Amino acid sequence: MNQLTKDPSQLPDDRLSQALRKADLDPAEHYNSAIKALLAKTTEAELQVVVESLKPTPVETTVVVGPIREQEKFLRFNLSIRLQHATMAISVIILIITGLPLKYHDAAFSQWFMNLIGGIEVSKIAHRIGATGLIFVGAYHLGYIAFTRVGRRDLMLLLPRFKDALDALQMFKYYFGLSQVKAQFGRFSYIEKFDYWAVYWGMVIMISSGSLLWFNQIAMTYLPKFVMDIATVAHRDEALLATLAIVIWHFYNVHLSPGKFPMSKVFINGILTREEMEDEHPLELEEILGKGEKSGASRIGGKK
Amino acid sequence: MALGFGLGFSTLAIAQTQSPDAKCLICHTKEGFSKIEPDGRKRDLYVDTTIIRASIHGKWSCTDCHASVTAIPHPPEVARLECTRCHFAGNKVGAPQGQLYDQYRESVHGIAAANGNTKAPFCQNCHGTHNIRRPSDPLSPISRSRVAATCGGCHVHEYAEYRISIHGSAVEKGNKDAPVCINCHGEHDILARSDPASKVNVSNIANTCSACHASEALMEQYGVRSVQVQTYKESYHGIATKFGQKKAANCASCHGVHDILPATDPNSRVNIANIPKTCGGCHQDANANYARGRIHVNAENKDSGIIYYIAFFFKYLTLITLAVLIFNILLDLRRKLGSKKHAK
Repeated sequence: MNQLTKDPSQLPDDRLSQALRKADLDPAEHYNSAIKALLAKTTEAELQVVVESLKPTPVETTVVVGPIREQEKFLRFNLSIRLQHATMAISVIILIITGLPLKYHDAAFSQWFMNLIGGIEVSKIAHRIGATGLIFVGAYHLGYIAFTRVGRRDLMLLLPRFKDALDALQMFKYYFGLSQVKAQFGRFSYIEKFDYWAVYWGMVIMISSGSLLWFNQIAMTYLPKFVMDIATVAHRDEALLATLAIVIWHFYNVHLSPGKFPMSKVFINGILTREEMEDEHPLELEEILGKGEKSGASRIGGKK
Repeated sequence: MALGFGLGFSTLAIAQTQSPDAKCLICHTKEGFSKIEPDGRKRDLYVDTTIIRASIHGKWSCTDCHASVTAIPHPPEVARLECTRCHFAGNKVGAPQGQLYDQYRESVHGIAAANGNTKAPFCQNCHGTHNIRRPSDPLSPISRSRVAATCGGCHVHEYAEYRISIHGSAVEKGNKDAPVCINCHGEHDILARSDPASKVNVSNIANTCSACHASEALMEQYGVRSVQVQTYKESYHGIATKFGQKKAANCASCHGVHDILPATDPNSRVNIANIPKTCGGCHQDANANYARGRIHVNAENKDSGIIYYIAFFFKYLTLITLAVLIFNILLDLRRKLGSKKHAK
């Protein structure tokens, strides 16, 4: 307070200074006496409140239920897989956006879209860029599952087994309330295996038929027209199946499903928490914790 | 000079007592009355009054149309007559007139004439001069049976092709449905093919043909498949054309324009033997493979064989797959939302 009086020009422009100025009193002259007057009229309790308010805020205490434990993290998808997924996702989005207006050419949306991007010649180039991305990721993935250790291991774990049928049965019991326990999944559930192999089917149909249509003049040197017609129909119809499967099924599983909304971030950072592992891949978790880290996911942070 | 005056005087007397045309007809009814044009061609100036009297303008006198003739004898150069003297909207004599003259003025013919093209047609080049009749009159130059020949007066090559085409030969046999020139090209509103609004512009050809070819009732009478229009629109050629691609095939690219013939005709562009050549117009090195399979293939029709079954397979694959997936989603949702409720 003494410091304030030493240099009157540095008086704070607070409520007190303003009140003094309003009363035609010079703050530099009367500030200290005003504070003294205020203090004299302040009760001990009021003073205590002010003093308390000046103390640093204490850290909020939390009520701990159960044991406190730092969340453990597990790497489910490595960077290569995440990049493969990203390339595929971008390619497929381009392919769907530029492909649907051809299938639904009578829809107002299609005409609007074609006008927007500058006609079918532009859309055709974009579609072929998407196709190139899809073909590249397909070829890259085949190399990945053939020539990398992790790729080969994941491929083995993705092969359908009898347990998948039992798991499916167990899940149906669970869904219908006949059982209170979910099926215990390993690294890949039967649903994830279905998704994985469904993509193979889609890739084979779309890339083979699409290549015929892309290189139609070369193709027709060797193939009769009705084969091209089959390719056209297959490309058009499988495109719809794939689009609906992605928009309804895949988006439900990773975006809209309760607990996932707005999206599961595993496709970005590749990480599942211990809680998620316990819920979705308990057998894999058991394996990681029990036998070291032989399974697909690896523990990357946090210890019990 | 004196003789000329005397002749003039005496005809004036006749004109006053007989008809206003009498003076004109003194000269113009003389057989062989003609003059030599500056380009050396002989121009027949003989008027057969029976023709004009039988025409729709039979009640009018010569100077009603040849209005620039105000004295007899008249100077050798007579201005080209203007039909719009009577044929304008709101005229008092009841001459039919809608927007047709305005359409003509904006048409390829009207623009060419306005730009000084001496070969471009005026009204009378198509409608006739003294022989003008209603369009419905078979003797009119613009009647269904004669309009092709009228257009062919200038468009010789197109007329020659059209006459032997399926459309032209049907019209010649008296068919009432087959198209004549104006059905595809328009009448007063004929536009250059390059004009996007033209009925025969690449973007509009399919619509112009479908005016008849999409009509099931009409096509049935001739054993022509009306589904061809739809299958074209569903094909890549049709879709690309719709979205502004100018190179993609339209009806005329394969079937021809004036020379359209049924596929059964060996001279037809779409006869199976000619398909490689026709496709080869756009697709380099087109071979017999282009003819192995239906052209207007309809995946929804059992006739299409394997293509029908492929489409059928994918249809049910999609329906069943989605039914299973959606069923799974509903089960999952029911359990997840249900268990949440119980937990809280």
